Amino acid sequence: METLTDLAPGKTAVVTELRFGDADAVRLMEFGFVPGVSVSCQRRVPMGDLSVYQLDGFQITLRRETASRIVVRMRAEAEGSDHV
Amino acid sequence: MSSAHAAHAAPAPASLADRRVVAICGAPNVGKSTFFNRLTGLRQKVANYPGITVEKRIGSIELPDGQAVDLIDLPGIVGLHPRSEDERISMDVLRGTSKTLPKPSAAILLLDSTTLEAQLRLVPEILGFGVPTLVVLNMADDLAARGGSVDEAVIEKQVGAPVALVSARLGTGMERVRDFLQGTLSPPPPVQLPVLNNIPAERQWAGTVAREASYHPPEPSLWGRRLDTIFLHPVGGPLFFLAVVVAVFQSIFTLAVPMMDTVEALIATSGGWLGAVLPDSILKGLLLDGIWGGVGSVVIFLPQILILFLFVGILEDSGYLARAAAIADRSMRSVGLEGRSFIPLLSAYACAVPAIMAARTVENQRDRLATIFIAPLTTCSARLPVYALLIAAFIPERPILGPFLGTRATVLLGLYAVGFLAACLTAFALKSTVLKSKPMPFMLPLPAYRLPTLRSLSYRLLDRSKIFLRRAGTVIMVATIVLWFLASVPYSNGSPPDIGDSLAGSIGKTIEPLVEPLGLNWKVAIGLITSLAAREVIVGTLGTIYGMETDEDSPALQDALRKDLSFGSAIALLLYFAFAMQCMSTVAIVRRETGGWRWPIAQFAYMLILAYVSGLAAYRIFG
Ligand SMILES: Nc1nc2c(ncn2[C@@H]2O[C@H](COP(=O)(O)OP(=O)(O)O)[C@@H](O)[C@H]2O)c(=O)[nH]1
Ligand SMILES: [Mg+2]
Repeated sequence: METLTDLAPGKTAVVTELRFGDADAVRLMEFGFVPGVSVSCQRRVPMGDLSVYQLDGFQITLRRETASRIVVRMRAEAEGSDHV
Repeated sequence: MSSAHAAHAAPAPASLADRRVVAICGAPNVGKSTFFNRLTGLRQKVANYPGITVEKRIGSIELPDGQAVDLIDLPGIVGLHPRSEDERISMDVLRGTSKTLPKPSAAILLLDSTTLEAQLRLVPEILGFGVPTLVVLNMADDLAARGGSVDEAVIEKQVGAPVALVSARLGTGMERVRDFLQGTLSPPPPVQLPVLNNIPAERQWAGTVAREASYHPPEPSLWGRRLDTIFLHPVGGPLFFLAVVVAVFQSIFTLAVPMMDTVEALIATSGGWLGAVLPDSILKGLLLDGIWGGVGSVVIFLPQILILFLFVGILEDSGYLARAAAIADRSMRSVGLEGRSFIPLLSAYACAVPAIMAARTVENQRDRLATIFIAPLTTCSARLPVYALLIAAFIPERPILGPFLGTRATVLLGLYAVGFLAACLTAFALKSTVLKSKPMPFMLPLPAYRLPTLRSLSYRLLDRSKIFLRRAGTVIMVATIVLWFLASVPYSNGSPPDIGDSLAGSIGKTIEPLVEPLGLNWKVAIGLITSLAAREVIVGTLGTIYGMETDEDSPALQDALRKDLSFGSAIALLLYFAFAMQCMSTVAIVRRETGGWRWPIAQFAYMLILAYVSGLAAYRIFG
């Protein structure tokens, strides 16, 4: 099982599962992390363990701890970029 | 279907009771305030929602047919599950359960057209409130500039609500908005929308709508990437952050001085005129010594507050603040706080009260308590007049880093740092003992970089000025008037007493022994009491006391203070204000938010001890 933390900068993956309690999962989905959405890793933020992700054309940072509970399926570059 | 139509058919008389209210809603950072300002211009006011101090902005416009409409700029929402007090307010207003506002007769939902797929989900959620709604696709200029496009007519059919593609920044596409407000826009036939509370289904629907409307997302902004490379750089990022902070504090002193001199001169001149015009009477004393001297000495600090908020406005509007938050995340983490505590703490630079309210975003009860507990240690803007007065009086300005950093800015910076440090250490102590808990998910959206506009910055400053002057005209004025009366009684032989013999004077002298170990005298002691109402009241109080003492044209307060206090006692006073909870509104809000007296009492005592001990130490060291 791979999670967002396994996503290297420049790579893309599809969200498959959120391993959170209900309320937290809703919040994550409201912020865009809906199963089926493509997420790419933009960069790691220095000093600390934040990473910047891009989804649906906007950027959001997550702590490693949060990212490690978002299960993803890696995508090959060739798969195209349309979502859901 | 549309009540906008109904209103058009039977135009309501323009009496205040049945004014139409239109709510502007949408996610954070989609341009709601810009849009609101564009529509209302200067005809807007900032008020507080009763009981809670989240700012509410209402503006009124008159339509060509004579109808008046009130627009509300609601706080940003990301969905139907509010977590913060801000979001809850937006929900209450839209649902019609707000105590102060009627259910809006119409809504305008703003979406950022550059991230349409993420945003469309809000359409069914907002339409679910059953209010005629205009969907505005904002940032049309940015979408086009980066090569994106969308067919808004198709979106309109797909969502079953009128749609307008606009640029709030440039003002394009606003005709349709005005038509909607006037009720002359015929809505498309309603359609079947996805069921609510199923976000994956809503998102899927959004994808389909975007595809049908041949939505082409814009190219990612290249220079945005480059800026992130700098601002989030391991060395460059923190250095830039530091440079920004230093620049802000330096300009609070250098840029503000000429403006403050102007304000001071204006107050002195107008006071002089009044003195010449008015006949000698008790009222004249009240007006000149009490109000002009007291309130005036606080109003002088308006330029400095505006400069602080000008910079904060630039940082916020440009999108940099979120990057700064990302850089600061590590320090938040090391004190055991979750990321969400950062935003409330950030807003405490303005005022602890909304910050404590905003702590409701923090779901984890223990983290929330820790956030509430430390929020008043963050340097709020009410401390700025106190700091500025004492620093200007006791710290000679000398360059430290050439023109970039002087001694005064350094001391001010130090005071902010001391407050921040105390907040962090306190949080750490709480989080590793009584308030230990498990971490929560952390998400911080990084908005696109945008050039701040002069327009939006001026509106921000206007808002700040109104809030500051309203405080000066209410809390500070009342405190000053009460003080003036206490300082004018008892009359002996038909004339007011020496201030030292007055009621205020005897109160001050009674508690003088308590503050003497900090090198402070009875006059400051009076100020410490009056400033319990609000911190900056001490400036007004000292202005009144020293003004009454000298009788003649009040000398610059700074000179009077320099004669009366030693350097060490000034430092002690500064530290006292850095730490003490001199603010009854904060006590009240903490009581309400924690549902009892336990926390506010603990907090008040803790901060008082911290303030007293550090003041004591400072006076011992600096003498
Ligand atoms: N390019 C562009 N920028 C906009 C537009 N509307 C707002 N902005 C910018 O977007 C940022 C956020 O706007 P603001 O009104 O504060 O958003 P709010 O959080 O929804 O109130 C500011 O920097 C605005 O200048 C627009 O139509 N086009
Ligand atoms: Mg806004």
